[in-house]
Amino acid sequence: MRRMALTDRPPQNGMGDPAMALARRTEDVVVGDEIVRERLSARLVHWTVALTFFVCLFTGLPIWTPYLGSLANLFGGLHVCRVLHPWAGVAFAAASVLMFGQWVSQMKLTPADREFLTPRGLLRYFQYRNEDADVGKYNGGQKLLFWAAALGALGLLATGLVMWFPLGFGQRLREASYLLHDVAFSLFFAMIIGHIYLGTAAEPGTFRSMIRGTVTKSWAQLHHPRWYREVTSQRPKTDT
Amino acid sequence: MTGDGLEIRQSSASVWGSSTELRNLKVVSKYIDTSTCIGCKACEVACQEWNDLHIVPTEQAGTYQTMPSLDANYWNLIKFREVEANGSFLWLLRKDGCMHCGDPGCLKACPAPGAIVQYQNGIVDVNPEACIGCKMCETGCPFDVPRYAAATDKMAKCTLCVDRVQVGLEPACVKACPTGCLHFGEKTEMVALGNARVDQLKKNGFAQAALYDPPGVGGTTVITVLAHGDRPEWYGLPKDPQVPGAVRFWKNVLRPLGALAIAASFFAMVGHYLAFGPKEPRPDGGSPKDEPGKRNDGAEKTKGDGPR
Repeated sequence: MRRMALTDRPPQNGMGDPAMALARRTEDVVVGDEIVRERLSARLVHWTVALTFFVCLFTGLPIWTPYLGSLANLFGGLHVCRVLHPWAGVAFAAASVLMFGQWVSQMKLTPADREFLTPRGLLRYFQYRNEDADVGKYNGGQKLLFWAAALGALGLLATGLVMWFPLGFGQRLREASYLLHDVAFSLFFAMIIGHIYLGTAAEPGTFRSMIRGTVTKSWAQLHHPRWYREVTSQRPKTDT
Repeated sequence: MTGDGLEIRQSSASVWGSSTELRNLKVVSKYIDTSTCIGCKACEVACQEWNDLHIVPTEQAGTYQTMPSLDANYWNLIKFREVEANGSFLWLLRKDGCMHCGDPGCLKACPAPGAIVQYQNGIVDVNPEACIGCKMCETGCPFDVPRYAAATDKMAKCTLCVDRVQVGLEPACVKACPTGCLHFGEKTEMVALGNARVDQLKKNGFAQAALYDPPGVGGTTVITVLAHGDRPEWYGLPKDPQVPGAVRFWKNVLRPLGALAIAASFFAMVGHYLAFGPKEPRPDGGSPKDEPGKRNDGAEKTKGDGPR
């Protein structure tokens, strides 16, 4: 309870954000007009996945098409990309495994999520007409992103390993891997563009949940009303 | 005679064409007559010597063959094949190596700009400086020719002695052949020579004799006379070689579709933002008890956090 006493006080100069201090290990706690949403480990693993993804992306794009060949210069040339890409891919896959473990327990799709993911539900979401929606801590789209990212990472790793050591595999498997790696990458990148957009420009206040780990109450009420109700109705909990 | 033609016709992973397509440069060809090959391996030795390739230990597999298949250090290999057919026994010798396809699958599959080039004279060459060692060419080749050199992380194969051809010499293997089963010259001349030999074979009882210049890969710069032309597989040659359909689909269809999907996602998001803008809490939204006075902790630097 000592921590909570601290959080009830307005932060003082040089003391840092008490909500952030709590966000190191705790989630779903109200601190002033903030709510702790993503603990430090979740944010760390997210940004590890993101960093390794972008290394994979920018080393892979110049191999994917010569039109983006100049991106190879970011790393010192196409040779460097060819060496770096598979290792970054292994790091991306490893980070994805950690991310999967971090969030899998919260990503079960409920009937409400399935309703969210219908064309009608998605249209309502993108037209900002779903304020009455029964959305918990993660909406159906976020859960779908989670599962798609897990599946995509698995597919990219499996096909990538064949591409890395092609001579150990048969012709048909190699051909299939080249095709599927391309399909998985294209869809994954298209999905991540949407993910970045929704997490920044489209829904202001979201990005800080992955930086500071906290969101404002009004943000939570707007985007995740059921989560907001659950978090605000209970006694604030500590990380102990 | 054939020393010109080193303008590049096409190059791997190139955005623009590499050639003016204006000069009427000659297409060359290496002619191989499997029916007069005696398996002396002079061509193998000549290839190793001219190209200064390392000595490769031989590997016995129960035939006269030097080693089971081509190697990054061994670009020219006489294949000794034993075939039992129609109650008889055939001992078929064929000089294996790069066929220098008119439509090279290796070049199609290669992602490194300029690592594989095809000259106007038809020779398909590798530029080790540009090669990134990804091995995609091995999947693109219908003849199983390109070989990966692990020590240097590069691909290697027969160059058709482009360094000799460009100064008007014939390839080293042709120079060394003692029976005249190898010839080198303009492709039209070599095809004429091959057709004449095929006619001769047909008159001598090989009714199925044929010249192997498969159209599925745009013809080959290395053309081969086969006494049993209806059964190229007896010689270890594919019957109807093609650039793998998967490689063509990958480069011609899937890659543009992927680019389209990525661009569509980007422009959909831009369009959505222009049409709907950011989704923010309404200034009057929420019940009063849910909107406590804003803490002025200087932390809310992220723009658009909460009502302003």
